[in-house]
Amino acid sequence: MGTAVRMFDPLFVPFNFKLQPDQIRVEVDRFRASVEKSREQLKRVQAELGRKSGPESSFLIDAHLLVLQDRLFVDRIVEKIETEHINSEWAIQQVSDDLLQAYDRLNDDYLRERRGDLEDIVRRLLHNLQLKRMPSFKKLPYDSILIGKAVPPSTLFELRSRRIVGLATETGSPLSHTAIMARSLEIPAVMGASDLSHVSSGDLLIVDGNRGLVIWSPSEETLEEYRNRGRDEKKLRKKPSGSASGPCLTEDRVRISLGANINFSEEIKTAAANGCESIGLYRTEFDFFREGKQPDENSLVEDYSHVLKGAKGAPVTFRTIDVGIDQKTWEGVNLNLGARGLRFCLENKDVFKKQLRALYRASTNGPMRILLPFVSTIDDLDAAREVLAEVRGELDLRRHAYDPGIPVGVMIETPAAAQTCDLMASHVDFFCLGTNDLIQYYLVIDRSDQSVMHLYNPFHPAILRCLHQVYTLLQPTGKPITVCGEMAADPPSAAVLLGLGFTSLSVNLAAYPRIRRMIRSVSFGQLRELAGQILKMQKPNEVEEKVRATVYRT
Amino acid sequence: MRERDVVIGHRLGLHARAAAKLVQLSTQFESNIVLSRPDVNAPQADARSILSILLLSAGFGSKVNVRAEGTDEERAIESICEYLSG
Repeated sequence: MGTAVRMFDPLFVPFNFKLQPDQIRVEVDRFRASVEKSREQLKRVQAELGRKSGPESSFLIDAHLLVLQDRLFVDRIVEKIETEHINSEWAIQQVSDDLLQAYDRLNDDYLRERRGDLEDIVRRLLHNLQLKRMPSFKKLPYDSILIGKAVPPSTLFELRSRRIVGLATETGSPLSHTAIMARSLEIPAVMGASDLSHVSSGDLLIVDGNRGLVIWSPSEETLEEYRNRGRDEKKLRKKPSGSASGPCLTEDRVRISLGANINFSEEIKTAAANGCESIGLYRTEFDFFREGKQPDENSLVEDYSHVLKGAKGAPVTFRTIDVGIDQKTWEGVNLNLGARGLRFCLENKDVFKKQLRALYRASTNGPMRILLPFVSTIDDLDAAREVLAEVRGELDLRRHAYDPGIPVGVMIETPAAAQTCDLMASHVDFFCLGTNDLIQYYLVIDRSDQSVMHLYNPFHPAILRCLHQVYTLLQPTGKPITVCGEMAADPPSAAVLLGLGFTSLSVNLAAYPRIRRMIRSVSFGQLRELAGQILKMQKPNEVEEKVRATVYRT
Repeated sequence: MRERDVVIGHRLGLHARAAAKLVQLSTQFESNIVLSRPDVNAPQADARSILSILLLSAGFGSKVNVRAEGTDEERAIESICEYLSG
């Protein structure tokens, strides 16, 4: 939660930000100094030009010099700094943008080209402002959230400034160096946020790195919610968490299995280094479509072998390709209610078979499980198992070695699967519960639609009942189940999962330490009791309050 | 206040060089000097602001209204119009 600070063209200046009243005088002086410096530079250039090729060629410099004393330009920038309390760079940008737009509207081609002169001057001014060695980060507000198209690499180290509390960029992946750095500094970061162009410096923002959300102009309720979260996180951090390795035991010594979710093969290193006991979910579609095209089978075998070797004996659950909401752009359509997951795979059997062949071929490198996403009927499941058998037959013919006993499981993420998981149990070896989609379909909320996002709530009685039902249906079957959605990554909702009986969770790497801390600080018995109580509650808020009071008790 | 209409006589119109000269000329006078183009819907220009003059987009042959106000308005309008007509 904090104030947006827009970074623009990294070549020039890193920041736009609002000034404190006592900084305005200094900022105007800084701007005037850069104007003066630019004038001196231009005069020097002009004198040199004059010596070399006569006074005629220096008229363009005249035009530049005149712009630097132009009231329309200089005075307006000073006025902006003074009245809008913004830094020089931002004021220059605003004023020059206005002027450049005016140039673009002209009918005269020659004059339209003159915009280049103005751009030149702006560049010079910005450059000189920077040379003034502005202590840029020291002027930032204490709750700055950096936003922009991308984070300039030069600002990477400045992230350590305690003034920066969040980071959101339009481009970049969770794997970029900045993202990794942000993660290790525990700065919430959202990389690849769809469109931030409507956010400007000074706006109030919330960056929720756990859910991958950037909330613009949050409501008072949302703010309050996040304030509480922040306080609670701090409390939890103070609790002793024991050693980083070794099994996860609750206070009353109940063994909880905690795996890690990864999206990219590179993350396996971090997972292994953090002592993750298993990879509960490897979402393979990101690597599969990484280059924007399909990889060939051999390179897939290599990738998957790399992951298995990197896991150092920890079992890895490979979820086959799920073309879902996050990959909407591939087809340009909302796939939420369409050919997602297994449905997509069964329609594109060659793609599916290629991936399965690669998985089987890599399986000699370590323990592997295959997970089928977005299953809603047993027919689909049967069809998938047929494809698996075909693939094994092909590999036998080609004399490829593979592990014939790879467990095959399904995701429970559609209401249909949640209702019929006990019927599916005899067809599969294990289950994974995908809460993200399950909540979306249960509560009828498109996660990519900002206008309904606030209704997305894991504490909704419908969700609690659904989870309770899944647990009750599956328990007699003896088939293992792991919860791997974001619900498991937030301590209070993860505690609810434990309370409902689930003893295997898998969370993203960023959440891993805090969930481990949470598990070690709670009593399983007490959470089971708590679950009994919250299942009778009527409203999500009551549930959440009750759970927070238990998890974050001091 | 003095005002006069003048037709731009510079072959390239009020482009960077001519505009720069005009600004330099205007700053020699104490009077405020404002240029406008009555026949088109362009905002009026301050003769001391090169950017506003350029935005006037006054090409060769276009009609420009010059107004001057101040102690030396007579001399100002005389020499500005002489310069503009080329």
